[in-house]
Amino acid sequence: MASDEIKTTPTSEGSDKKLTSHDITMLGIRSSLLQAAFSYERMQAGGWAWAQVPVWKKIFGKDKKGLSEAMTDNMEFINTSPPLVSILMGLLTSMEEKHVSRQTIRGLKNGLFGPMAGIGDAIYWFTLMPIVGGIAASFAAKGNPLGPILYFLVYVGVFLCRIPFAHLGYNLGTKAIDVIQENSEIIARVATIMGLTVIGALISSYVSLSLKVKIGTVALQKDFLDKVFPNILPLAFTFFLFWLLKKKKVSPIVLIAVVFVLCIVCSFFGIM
Amino acid sequence: MAITLMQGLMLGLFAIVAGLDSWLEVLYIFRPIISCTVAGLILGDVQMGIIAGGLTELAFAGLTPAGGTQPPNPAVCGIMTVVIAHTTGVAPATAMSLSLPFAMLMQYILLMFYSIFTVFMPGMDKAAEQADTKKFGRYAYLMMAIVCAAFFIVIFLSAYAAQTPMQALVEAMPKWLIHGFELAGAALPAVGFAMLLKVLLRMEYLPFLLLGFVVASFINYSNVLPAAVIGVVFAMIEFFRDKKNKKLQDQIEALKQSGVSGGEEDGI
Repeated sequence: MASDEIKTTPTSEGSDKKLTSHDITMLGIRSSLLQAAFSYERMQAGGWAWAQVPVWKKIFGKDKKGLSEAMTDNMEFINTSPPLVSILMGLLTSMEEKHVSRQTIRGLKNGLFGPMAGIGDAIYWFTLMPIVGGIAASFAAKGNPLGPILYFLVYVGVFLCRIPFAHLGYNLGTKAIDVIQENSEIIARVATIMGLTVIGALISSYVSLSLKVKIGTVALQKDFLDKVFPNILPLAFTFFLFWLLKKKKVSPIVLIAVVFVLCIVCSFFGIM
Repeated sequence: MAITLMQGLMLGLFAIVAGLDSWLEVLYIFRPIISCTVAGLILGDVQMGIIAGGLTELAFAGLTPAGGTQPPNPAVCGIMTVVIAHTTGVAPATAMSLSLPFAMLMQYILLMFYSIFTVFMPGMDKAAEQADTKKFGRYAYLMMAIVCAAFFIVIFLSAYAAQTPMQALVEAMPKWLIHGFELAGAALPAVGFAMLLKVLLRMEYLPFLLLGFVVASFINYSNVLPAAVIGVVFAMIEFFRDKKNKKLQDQIEALKQSGVSGGEEDGI
């Protein structure tokens, strides 16, 4: 980690080196804001972008158009692992600093957030928490204050890891940048492929629709749809919305309203 | 033992901190083992708080928000477990199950926020487009403020003002409305994915989307890692193929060039 760079002024290292080590440290801390603006529609997008606003402001400076493009691009759906996100932020920040094409940055982001969410959940929720929680709870259940103290310290450590993680991502990006830029077209394509594979999986696991309707004695969902193809309804619904967005140019706000009304009406009549 | 106004306010303040932490998932002080202990500290019964924390933490061990589902809110469950044990004198384990309706209430409120906050997205989009970072940040602050206020109100009312009416409210909410919100919560990600597809999807990529979908539908695994690995496999195959193609292309170009120039110079 280039901690000796802390004191150098932002502009002293040439035009494309605008960020100091301190900026990356702050980015790591600000990565805590990932879920600040969480909503179902785009999950962490708002907080994801907000956390990175200070570094973008430094990178783009007076270039309002660049800043606008970066912010707009990062308002797309994202859902990744909070404790690991600073790696991704650091990596993409190094790309932004070198003004790599928007297509490549977006491709990398979309290709990486899904796998990182999977890895993060596996590490933090399914491995670390049961172990630390189990040990700490066994102390606490006997009234020993060591339980909560131990637990707290471990998670302060998890929080502090965001800082070296941000540097790790940033340094990784700076080193890999030439390779990435040289092959940016291929990488964007490959990252899109990876991203779409993951998005396909996400549609299957995040979107859920299930009918309660029975035709005679046949339960439409359990006896028919699930037998034909499980999760076919979420896929069909997503494609229906995609079609409305792309071909019919329906605004996302209208789609959200439609989803709400549809669900509450379906719930009222016991359809879903 | 009754809870004083001061204690009620202190619990409310702690609920703001723990609630914001559960919203952001940063320090994990929203987990029962911490929230119970702090609530015990506020009520002057640390020992009981720690014991309740141990029990509740274990009960919540399997309830994780990983994968997008929202379990009963652990921060509220932790605080209310200690409050109920303190006020009614029941054992921490009994208090924990009595606190679940409050944790469920908070969960419903959060589910509602997850859905409703969608209305702020067009505003954030507009601020992003105008590169108006101040306005952009204001939306994020507003959402966090709403969450904090909700946590304060729920805990202050449940702990100090009105335990019984709160419990009744949870039971009185029409089932179809709660269920409707749950359904909307499960269906709304489809809008986000549709928007993502609008940007990313081209015909040549469709097979990969379907592949990921099929893998996740038939491999019942807790996360999308298997699909991601298969995505990596195909990405690598494509990567090496593209690289090879590019190299061949370059060689053809080089041959063409040398063929042309060589032909002229050497006269072969």
